[in-house]
Amino acid sequence: MDNSSFNKADDLGRRQFMINAARSYLGVSLAPMLGAGIAGSAFGQKQVGGAKAEHVIFLNMGGGMSHLDTFDTKPGNKEAQGPVESIDTSGDFQISQYLPESAKIGNKMCVINSMTSKQGAHSQGQYLLHRSYSPRGTIVHPALGAWVVRQKGRKNATLPGFVTANTSPAVSSPGFFGAQFGGVPLGRPDEGLKNSTRAGSVSEEDFKKRLAIADALNKTFEENYQTPAVKAYDSLYEEAVKLMQSKDLEAFDINKEPGSVQNSYGKDRFGQGCLLARRLVESGVRFIEVSHGGWDTHYDNFTNVENRAKTLDKAFSALVADLDKRGLLESTLVVIATEFGRTPRIVEEHNSGRDHHPACFSAVMAGGGVAGGQKYGETDESGARVAKDPVTIQDFNATIGYALGIDHTQVVSSPSGRPFRLGGAEAELGKPISSIFG
Amino acid sequence: MTKSKILCVLLLGGVAAPLVAQSTKDLKTSVALKKAAYNVDKYVSEIFRRKKLAVPKVVDDPSFLRRSFLVAAGRIPTLEEASSFLEIEDPAKREILTQYLLQSDGYRSHMQNYVFDLLRAKDNNRDGAQAYAAPYMNFVQKSVGKNIPWDQFAHSLISAKGIAWEDGNGAVGYYIRDKGMPLDNLALTMQIFTGERLECAQCHDSPTNKWERMDFYELAAFTHGQREINEGVWNRAMRSYNDEDFRRSDIGRLFYWLRDNIHYGTIADQGAGRIKLPSDYQYKDGDPGEMIGGRTHFGKKIRSSDRRDSGKSRIEFADWMTKDNPNFNYIAVNRMWERVMGSPLTYPVDVYVKPEKTASPPLTNYLTRLMVDLDYDLKAFQNVLFLTKTFQFAANPKAFEAGVPQAFNGRQLERMSAEQIWDSLVTLVADKPDNLAKRKFSNNIYYNNKPILVGEKTMSDLAKEVVAIKDPKIYREYAEALLEKIKSGGGGSSASKDMMMMAAKSRPGPANGIARASELSAPAPAGHFLREFGQSDRELIESSTKEANVAQILEIMNGHVEKMVVANKGASVYGALEKGSTAADKARYIYYAILSRPPSSSEMNMLMRDVIDGSKESYENLVAALVQTHEFMFIQ
Repeated sequence: MDNSSFNKADDLGRRQFMINAARSYLGVSLAPMLGAGIAGSAFGQKQVGGAKAEHVIFLNMGGGMSHLDTFDTKPGNKEAQGPVESIDTSGDFQISQYLPESAKIGNKMCVINSMTSKQGAHSQGQYLLHRSYSPRGTIVHPALGAWVVRQKGRKNATLPGFVTANTSPAVSSPGFFGAQFGGVPLGRPDEGLKNSTRAGSVSEEDFKKRLAIADALNKTFEENYQTPAVKAYDSLYEEAVKLMQSKDLEAFDINKEPGSVQNSYGKDRFGQGCLLARRLVESGVRFIEVSHGGWDTHYDNFTNVENRAKTLDKAFSALVADLDKRGLLESTLVVIATEFGRTPRIVEEHNSGRDHHPACFSAVMAGGGVAGGQKYGETDESGARVAKDPVTIQDFNATIGYALGIDHTQVVSSPSGRPFRLGGAEAELGKPISSIFG
Repeated sequence: MTKSKILCVLLLGGVAAPLVAQSTKDLKTSVALKKAAYNVDKYVSEIFRRKKLAVPKVVDDPSFLRRSFLVAAGRIPTLEEASSFLEIEDPAKREILTQYLLQSDGYRSHMQNYVFDLLRAKDNNRDGAQAYAAPYMNFVQKSVGKNIPWDQFAHSLISAKGIAWEDGNGAVGYYIRDKGMPLDNLALTMQIFTGERLECAQCHDSPTNKWERMDFYELAAFTHGQREINEGVWNRAMRSYNDEDFRRSDIGRLFYWLRDNIHYGTIADQGAGRIKLPSDYQYKDGDPGEMIGGRTHFGKKIRSSDRRDSGKSRIEFADWMTKDNPNFNYIAVNRMWERVMGSPLTYPVDVYVKPEKTASPPLTNYLTRLMVDLDYDLKAFQNVLFLTKTFQFAANPKAFEAGVPQAFNGRQLERMSAEQIWDSLVTLVADKPDNLAKRKFSNNIYYNNKPILVGEKTMSDLAKEVVAIKDPKIYREYAEALLEKIKSGGGGSSASKDMMMMAAKSRPGPANGIARASELSAPAPAGHFLREFGQSDRELIESSTKEANVAQILEIMNGHVEKMVVANKGASVYGALEKGSTAADKARYIYYAILSRPPSSSEMNMLMRDVIDGSKESYENLVAALVQTHEFMFIQ
């Protein structure tokens, strides 16, 4: 920037400074501003679908979860199945021996075995899973969590509507919706929301003063550069201060839970993330994504899937049971999703690995009005192709919208005027699987 | 002493040597580099003339200073660096600064981040296991530090074979990074180096570009065949124990350590040159399971046989890719243009575009020729770009609109990368940010976080011995003898025991605490400042982000910025308080240290009237507030 423009700009006189200081971050003055945009009512949309769910806990199995070794076992086909045994569940289907605790809550879950996609690469697959669109060079489509916050509005005005744990910020970014709809990323669930209280070394007065000085100094910069990225930082400062003042900050602290509850979810990052998700649901957060990576089992598939599944099994079963016990399962849709499945072919030279397989894979839904104990869709005898009731990623995401009462066909335009929908592009527009709702 | 010499002394410590030694071709002399920069500007100005656009203004000194530091060295200037540059009048000072930056270790550090990201390089080869990728990380670090030509670097990755731990052979880690997924690795190789996107064609004919599945497999044939050296011996030796609790026994643990740290990082040959079509091959031009040979589809035409294993097809493939390959040349150019100018010549940066389809074919042709003539010396190539007027164009105040070519139209305003933010904060803490702790590499053997066999055997020696064993029985004996040796304290002479005492407790590797981002563990652990600001998790390609989120703001207001910088009495930014005698001077130097410019007169008025009362707190408030400004966070 040309330095002289600072001198030409409005003189930052005392009056200006005091106005800025007063405007800045004094809690109350913020409420109307954010209240209108985010909290309270949603963006004027009609209620459709199941509309029982008010929250979503999205469990992202990054890397491509092997359907054959988890939720779509083939006991009759040793060649495709390898050493994994099938076990009965309390629902009307079998799953893998690696998921014994989940088997016990089979009556609460709906397993979808007929997921299908054309994206066999991780980046594109994860992008599609989160956004219902394939990546394009000219736009970033909003992630599902951003859609839900935008269309449903916030339930708790002082907490963010969308929180992620163990999740790469790139995967869950709000795209053209802008930072106010983006997920708040938590690196470690056990640390909760770090830095949410004023540092001991800073008095409240100094804290406010700093914000006011920065705000005053930002004026010239903002006049020169009115970009979304700059505006995003502006709106987030206000949001962050509001969050610091929230009486519900404790929702982020899983250490408030008894040790026995912490243990029941598993003392690993994914388990603790699921526990955090439950606490956030209780405090009105709309959408929580918890990721559990490492499913890219090209090499040594069975050892790796067993390890991954063990963590998933404990956390998922504890989460569903806990939500159920607290009467929150009906209003909370818990989802297990992945970008693609893995090949029925077992690659011997890679220590019994399995490669990418987008043609069919599995997902799970529980709660949020979905009827438990059922299976939807089928694959063929080797788990290579969908045999019945194919479900695309767009269908899957439309179903999440349906559970929440969000119209997945409603168009939201990007700043450049291009139309986008939660259910994907017109040619691939998803159809909700309404039949799985009770 | 002339003013120009004073500047040289301040910035360069008295050494005003030319950036690159005089090459035989004389293309890397400062005169030749300047001439090349002039030519680039000539082509760019023709674009403006043709489109009847006004050429953007050139930035002022403070903007040039800050931009150059962030783009070349990945951090803001220190107080001393900023004042040496700002307070001296010298027509040559921009060139001198460029030279200073490209010679600094900051250049290496910043470039290393870039290459690590591109290669998705991680310190650990296998999640959940202790499988060190140290030789590979060291190879990349050294290659960037020595400015190894880009074609040579790519060639050594693609043609790598042997034992990763063998001295100088860390390049093997390129394939080990993607072990078990050689097809994905190939798709990434094509994307990184040739700008062709084949990841869809891995499974089906691509609906969005020209690539068919057969093409993919024809290319995959060249890199196919990445078996471990003497594969199977370890497995048979392990099975000979026939013990359920083997994995938990002492010998079992040693076995798995040998697998993860030695065998896992070996490749027996340099490419089969042929590959079987997959069992689900669905098109008429081939049968499932059919063996096909390699074939290239652009650049030079090369083939490999479908009848016998080549054993060296990866060398041929690497030759094809890096020698006279227009794709390779253009992508290297496009990447470096993006790095220096902020936007690539054509979007996306890693998709090949023919010169005639670019905004200025003569410029594109000139740049690709320059890349070749400079022998793929990326530093020299970037040096040319830094010397252009085009680099000095004022930032474009309009919001970035994807799809509109912006490469010549003034830099887009852009948030710093996570690494640039971290490294800039580090600069506010440490006087000499480029001299902080570096990643360390050791070829010593560490087992259970203890150095063993120090002075007797290195990892390289051990690996060579272990992978040479062809008989499972001998392998078992070797492992058992090794375990005995470890248990008895490592053996060796008393001299080697002294050396053991001196060796670090656990394997030397990434640095901790206050160090440049490139030296910390890769990627930084979840929850680290770097990750909150969008550092790539190194799982997916290009998964770093510059998007804002609330966690970042909390980190700035209450977290690292406060603890590491503002409340840290020893932080280098407070050198401003000693350097300045009056309150106004102190404030001005704080501006130098954080925003690399003096305050404007109206800002100074406000500071003196409303902010600075001479107290320690008032200066701290100024420091904290300046780090909170957009101007700090964004590169203009």
